[in-house]
Amino acid sequence: MTQQLTAPADLHEFGEDPQRAALLARRAAKAVRVVPRGNRTFTARERAEQLADQGTFVAFAPARSREPGIGAGVLTGWATVNRRPVVIISHDAAVAAGAIGAVFADAVQDAQRFAIDHGYPIIYLNDSSGARIHDGIHALHGCGGIFRLNVKATRRVPQISVILGPCAGAAAYSPALTDWTIMVREQGQMFLTGPDIVKAATGEDATAEAIGGADMHTQTSGVAHLAVDTEDEAIEATRRILAYTPTYAGGPLPESLPVGPDAAAAAELPYVVPSKASVGFDMTQVLAGVVDEGSMFEIMPTRCTSVLTMFARLDGKPVGILANQPNARGGILDTQTSVKAARFVDYCGRFGIPVLTFVDVPGFLPGTVEEGRGVITYGATLLRAYAEATGPLLTVIVRKAYGGAYIAMGSPSLGADACWAWPGSEIAVMGPGGAVALLNRRELAAPDDPAALRDELAAEYRESVARPWLAAEAGIVDDVILPEETRDRLVASLRMLTA
Amino acid sequence: MSVAQVAPIVASVWKIEVAVGDRVEAGATLAVVESMKMEIPILASVTGVVESIPVEPGQIVQEGDAVVVIAPDTGVPEPRAAH
Repeated sequence: MTQQLTAPADLHEFGEDPQRAALLARRAAKAVRVVPRGNRTFTARERAEQLADQGTFVAFAPARSREPGIGAGVLTGWATVNRRPVVIISHDAAVAAGAIGAVFADAVQDAQRFAIDHGYPIIYLNDSSGARIHDGIHALHGCGGIFRLNVKATRRVPQISVILGPCAGAAAYSPALTDWTIMVREQGQMFLTGPDIVKAATGEDATAEAIGGADMHTQTSGVAHLAVDTEDEAIEATRRILAYTPTYAGGPLPESLPVGPDAAAAAELPYVVPSKASVGFDMTQVLAGVVDEGSMFEIMPTRCTSVLTMFARLDGKPVGILANQPNARGGILDTQTSVKAARFVDYCGRFGIPVLTFVDVPGFLPGTVEEGRGVITYGATLLRAYAEATGPLLTVIVRKAYGGAYIAMGSPSLGADACWAWPGSEIAVMGPGGAVALLNRRELAAPDDPAALRDELAAEYRESVARPWLAAEAGIVDDVILPEETRDRLVASLRMLTA
Repeated sequence: MSVAQVAPIVASVWKIEVAVGDRVEAGATLAVVESMKMEIPILASVTGVVESIPVEPGQIVQEGDAVVVIAPDTGVPEPRAAH
C-alpha cells in the first residue's frame, strides 16, 4: 500500500493557491521552446544566450507583449561577455517576422536607456522585417526613438549590430548608427526595400543577396564591416571586438597578459621594406613583427584595401592600428579610404583605445574623379578623427609620408603623442619628382638632357630635404629609429601614456 | 564569359608581361601600371587564357578600365573588392 503524501494541515486548509498555480502555469508555457522562424536554427533567446557568458543572460521584462502571450517581437536583457557587462537586444523573428511595432520599440528603447545610464555596451542581434505596418505611425515613432538613442549612445558605449536575417527599413537603419556591423553570408541582408518592393517600384529584378547581402555590403557599399559564414563566427567576432574595447567611454582598457611578437616576423622586420621606393610590400609583415603574437584582428578587410584597420594588442594592452598597405593601390588615401580610416580612428578615439599609425603613403590620389567625389570633405573626416581622439596616439613613419597625407596619417600636428621615423623614410610636402619640377623649373627648361638632370636633382632632394633627419632636428619627429627598435619604443610610450 | 582584369586606380600602363593566347594561373602578374610613383601589379583573378589586351604601354587607364581580358577555364570568377 502506498503512502499518501499530504500537505501540512495548516496549508492544506487553504487549498491550492490559484495565483501561485497561475504563475507556475505561465512559466511552464514559457519553457516550451518556440520554433525558430523559417530555416533559422536558433531562437532569439538562444542567440542571446550564445553571445553571453554561460548562464549569465537575464531578460528584461520578458512577458512584455503586444497581445497577451505573443511577446514583443524582441527579447532584451543583460549578461556578461568576457566577464564584463553588456546589454543584448535580440530580435524575435518568430513574432510577426520581428516587425518593429510600438511595444517592440518601447522594449528596445528601455534597454538602450539602461545601457546608456549604466555604461554597458549594446549588442543588437538583428533579424527584423522593419516597421510593423499595422502599428502605423506608432511604429514609425518607435523606430525614430530607437535611432535617437543609437546616436545618444555613440559617445557613451560601444554598439555592435549583428545581422542574422533579412533586415529591412528601420532594422537596417539602426545598424548604420552603431559602431560595427557584422553580417552572416546568405542568411543576413540589409536593405531599405526588399526584392518584392524593388520589383514593384522600378521593375528591377534582384535577389535579396544582391540588394543587401554580406559580400555586397562589405565590399561595395561599405555599410557593413565584417562578413562571416555562420552565426557562431558572428558571435565570436562580436566577443572579439568587445575584448579590445573599454566597457564605456573613459573606462579602463581591457588588458591581457603581454606576449612578444611573432619571432620570425620580428627577426624579418629590418628587411621587409624594399630599398626601391616604388616597390610595394606587405605592411601586415611589419605589424606582425611589432605587436603581440596572435592579437591582430582586421576590421573592414575587403574594402578600400590600401589602408589596413585592425585591432591588436601591444604589451597586453588593446590598440587600434591604422596602416597604409603599399601592396594595394600603392597604399594611397582617397575618398572612400578616408571614410574607412576615419570610422576606425573615430571609434578608437571615442573609447580611448590607443591608436598606432604605420605610415607609407604616396599621397591623396589627385584628379577630377577624386575631387568630384568630394575627397576634400571626406579626407577631412580623417583629420577630425585624429584631432578629436581621446586616447594615446603613436605614429611610426615606415617609408613615405608626403603632403596632406602625411598630416592625415596621425601626424604630431594633429595630436600624436610621439612620432618616430625609420631611417629610409621620406617626409616632405611632395615626392622628389614633383618637387624638383616645381623648384627647378628654370634649370630644367634649358639643358640638352632634362631627364638626366631631373633624376640628379630628385636624388639630391631626396637625400637633403626628404630624409627624416630634418624632421627630427625640427623636433617634429621625435627620433629616427631602427625597425627592430619600434616595439620597445611603442611599449615604453604606451606604458607612460596609460599609467 | 571572359573576365576583365581592371586598373584599381587611375594610372599609366608601364609594362605588359603576357601576350594574347598565353595561359595564366590565378595570382600571376599580367601587367604593371604606375600611379603615384608606385608600381602597381595587375594580377590574374582567375586561371585561363589571355583573350585580349586592350591597352598599350604608356597609355593612361582610369580606375575600372580593363587592362587584360582573360577567358577563364571554368566556373564563376572570384568576386573582387571594389577598392
